[in-house]
Formats: sequence, C-alpha cells, structure tokens
Amino acid sequence: MEPKNQYIPYKMRIASITEEAPLVQTYRLEFVDEKDAEQFTFRAGQFAEYGVFGEGESTFCIASSPTREGYLECTFRSTGRVTKALANCELNDIIGLRGPFGNTFPIEEWYGKNIVFVTGGIALPPLRCVIWNLLDQREKFGDITIYYGARSVNDLVYKEELEEWSSRSDVKLYVTVDPGGETPEWKGLVGFVPTVLEQNPPKSDNAVAIVAGPPILIKMGMPILSKNGFDNANIYTTLENRMKCGVGKCGHCTVGKTYVCKDGPVFTYEEVLKMPAEY
Amino acid sequence: MEIKNIKLSQLPAFFDQLIKSGKVVIAPVMKKSGKVFFERVQSYSQVATDYIQTGFSAKSVVFPKVEVLFSFNKTDDGIDIKDSITDIPETIVWGLRPCDGSAFNYMTEFFLKENPDVYYAARKAKTTLIAISCAKADDACFCTSVGLTPGSTEGSDLLLTTMGEDVYVEVITEKGKAAIDLSASLFSVNEERSKEKYLAKIDTKFSLTEIKERIKTAYDSAEWKNESMGCFGCGACAFSCPTCTCFDIQDEGTQNKGQRLRCWDACGFGQFTKHASGHNPKTNQTQRRRQRLMHKFQYSVENLGIVSCVGCGRCIRVCPAHLNIFENILSVTQ
Repeated sequence: MEPKNQYIPYKMRIASITEEAPLVQTYRLEFVDEKDAEQFTFRAGQFAEYGVFGEGESTFCIASSPTREGYLECTFRSTGRVTKALANCELNDIIGLRGPFGNTFPIEEWYGKNIVFVTGGIALPPLRCVIWNLLDQREKFGDITIYYGARSVNDLVYKEELEEWSSRSDVKLYVTVDPGGETPEWKGLVGFVPTVLEQNPPKSDNAVAIVAGPPILIKMGMPILSKNGFDNANIYTTLENRMKCGVGKCGHCTVGKTYVCKDGPVFTYEEVLKMPAEY
Repeated sequence: MEIKNIKLSQLPAFFDQLIKSGKVVIAPVMKKSGKVFFERVQSYSQVATDYIQTGFSAKSVVFPKVEVLFSFNKTDDGIDIKDSITDIPETIVWGLRPCDGSAFNYMTEFFLKENPDVYYAARKAKTTLIAISCAKADDACFCTSVGLTPGSTEGSDLLLTTMGEDVYVEVITEKGKAAIDLSASLFSVNEERSKEKYLAKIDTKFSLTEIKERIKTAYDSAEWKNESMGCFGCGACAFSCPTCTCFDIQDEGTQNKGQRLRCWDACGFGQFTKHASGHNPKTNQTQRRRQRLMHKFQYSVENLGIVSCVGCGRCIRVCPAHLNIFENILSVTQ
C-alpha cells in the first residue's frame, strides 16, 4: 500500500462555536466525508493541525475526549494570522484538519490510581480531553483533583464545565485567578497556580500528576509535585512547541534531538529532565 | 560494482543521449558572476567543467525550495483538493560532487525511514544522480573529516572520475546502469583500480570518532557564545547546505482558491521556534547556532546513525560573518 500523504487535510465542518473567554473559542468539528469519520481514531494527548485554506495551519491538542464519538473539538485563542482567520470562520464553514499526531497519555496504566491535574489558561483544553476521558469511565480511577488558574475570572475557559466539575462529589477542583484578576463576585481562590499547588499539596500516594500550561507553569509546577513525593516518572506534561508538519520533519519543535511532535507531545518529568530546557 | 570506461572526448556524446532520453537534465552552469549553479540544460556546451563546488547543492531536485503540497478550490458544495505528485518529471542530475551524493543518502534516511514523505519519495524515485569526483578542492572542503573522500560513491548512481584521456565509471546502482545503457556503445569494460592519484588532496581537520564522542558533553560549552557571536541569522548556511531539511508550510492565494506550499526554512531564523504567545524556547543566536551544529554532529547520529554534515564547505564559503563550521566544532569540543 502506498504511504498516506500526511499533508492532505480532512475536510471538517464547523458544527458549533462556543465563546469561552475574550478571543478564546471552542469549535466543534464534524467530518464532511463519512468515510473519514469512520476510520479516524485518536487517543487522549494527541494533537492536530487545523487549517484555514488560504491562510495556513495552527497546532492545538484535541480538546474533546475520544469517548465522545462523532466529533472533535478544539479551543484556541485568536493570536496570529491563522487563528484570526479561524476565529472569523462561521458555523458550517469547512476547515482542514490533519492528524492525529504524536503520542498519548498512558491512561490504561493509571487504572486504580489517584489523578492530579495542574493547568492554567488555555492549557486546560489539552487536559480537558483527558479529564473527560477519565470521568467517562470514572469507576476505573481513584481520586481526581484539578488545579486550574487563569489570569482573570474572565479568562477562565469552559466555565460551565468548571461549574459541573465543582458540583461533582467525585472531583476535587481548585480554581484560582492571578492576583488582580479577581472580580468582586469571585468566590474562588486568588493566587498563581504554583502557589495554590504548594498551599494545597496533593497526596502523592498511588498518584500520577499531569501538568500543562504555559512553559513557566510546567517549569514551576513539575518540581513542586516532585518535592511533594511524586515520582518523576509519574509526573506527565504535554509540551507545545511551535510546529508545522506534525510528523517530525519540519524541524520547528525540536528540543535537542527530540521532536516534540512525534516523540511527544506527552513526556514525563523524568524525560524532560534529560532534555535541554528548549520549550 | 560494475566498472566501465568512456573516453573523455566521448562524454558530450553520452550527455546528449541523456538529453535525448527526454528526461529533465540538471547540470552545473557557470553564471556571469563566475559562480556555478545547477540548472536545467539542453546541451553539453552549457555545462561547466571547471569548478570546485556549486553554489547550491542539488537537493532542490528532491526537496524544492518551494513545493506545492496541494492546490485547493472552493466550489458550491465544498472544497476540491488536488496534490501535484503525479506531475513530477524523471530527472538526471549531472556533475554533483561525491559529498552531495552522500547527502542524498542522509536525506533519504531522514525523509523515508519514519513517517515517509510521499513528495520526497516520488521525486527521489525519479532522480538519477551522476556524480563527478573532485580533482580540485579549496580551503573550505573537509569531506575527509566526515568519513568521505573526493571519490566517495555513497548515495550516487554513477560516479565519473577523469583519469587523463579516460573517464573511470563506477556503476553504483541500477539507475546508474540504466543511464549508461542509453549509450552502451560508448562504454567499454574496465577493471577496478585506485582513483587516489586523480583525486584532490584534502587535509583532515579533525578525527570524526573523537568529535562524535566529545560533542556529547559539548552542549554547555562556553565556546558556543564566542563561536556564534558573528552570526546574525541570515540562514545562508542552511539554504546552501545539502543536508538541511527544515521547512515551513505557508498558504498562498485566497480562501477560495490557492495553494499550500512547503518552503525551505532555517533553524537560525529568530522566528523559527517562536510560539504564538511570544515565548521563544531558543531566544538567542547562540542557542540557534548550537542547535544547527549539534544536529549535524550529534542529534542526527543519535536519531539516524548518520553525521549529517558531508564537508561540502558551502556554509563556510557563503557565511557573511566568516563562521567556519569545522573550526566551530573543534572549539566547542575542546
């Protein structure tokens, strides 16, 4: 069989648009071609290239869970040429999607364990995929604890889902905003995510932790968990270097000899410590 | 390996048969500037014979500077997408140097070993490489330091070595055989012999075995800063390099009709690793220069088992800041 042309995108129809925060939107995407929908599978942690024809492609993790079939979701901030063009798309417009790319979180290895999520800003979307993946088979996991923060109350994403998780008895949720980002009505925590994590340390017994965020949160969060007794091999992150091809060729995402796109994006802290800090 | 002989005076006749075969023939051409570049030619009279190295390598034959990945056209009921792989012509590259031939070996490993690239595969399958050994070299040449010689056969399909009035022909692959079969009567049987005295003499700058060992601990060398001080990130080294494979993907046209392009990029460019947020993992030229050199001498060895520098010397000749890759490598591995 001829190898697949990895540069030809699937055609996706924008099935719904949700405004999450200023400049941040979630698109639900459905395959235009049913055959594509049937053969496409992915696992939590993988990413895709989302393209607006004539403008280019951008890289985001798949934000919906593989347990929710029939669609994919991505959440993005309108920042550059492509994400601005993406933000200008309308319901039922067709965009391109390539993927899924990269490795995955080893969810089956986590059965029976307590899971801790540490994340900030629009790094919740890549973990939202994992969170729902776990919640959709809740009985297989121990305690689930989520630390999530944003610059301001307005910048929190998935506000309805945060409400839902906060009201569930089987999820422990810490939501915080950076100092100065609170509103008079804000009833959650105030403080940077690493501070909140240090003040409310999660138990490391029989636990794994997943950290996703801007690079500064990854660089600060992982050592805190390590200090709290988490084995470095049980602390996971997803690195989000600049990418173009998604298949280990274009060279943009390299960290030393490692291609984040094909060797990652999921790495353990143990692995990250062996790599140069080029992320 | 099959060895053949052709009279030097018969080379034009052989070349004309290649042209007549209808394939695209790319050969070195002397420009008014005195520099030599590969371009498509129609007759042997256009071909440069007295040159040390071409300005660019022939890598653009298999990895074009700008390549159309696909074109798209919005219609009433969706979008038509069409790739251009079927339009790739059969191509012969004439007169590349043995170092460049071996660069094709590296590129083939890189593009096809894992997640095979269908564009590279299609172009490479249709390309025949006829290399010519080096009788002359300059101060920038250092193939002998990276495990090659001015008469290496790796990666090429045919290698021609001029020996007085005769040309010693090494038939390396089936593609090479197919090329000489186009004018079989011009070639006679030959015996294997040493090319040594007909090849350029190139001093060894370093021991590759030692460098490969020492570079493993070179990441934190203070010398990177000194060695990269002059670099202003123009990317000339990467664009002229026969093994640099980094690329960008850009769209051209409108949202209704256009093309998605793959274009050469360079790890020395400041924007190369910059995130949308503004964060840049490789903030300065020292980090970027280190990435380039570590990739050539360590990362590609770890990933593919190949040193991805062939010693062609182009980056040394074109660098406006006079950076010298083998001097840089020596100083960071001291």
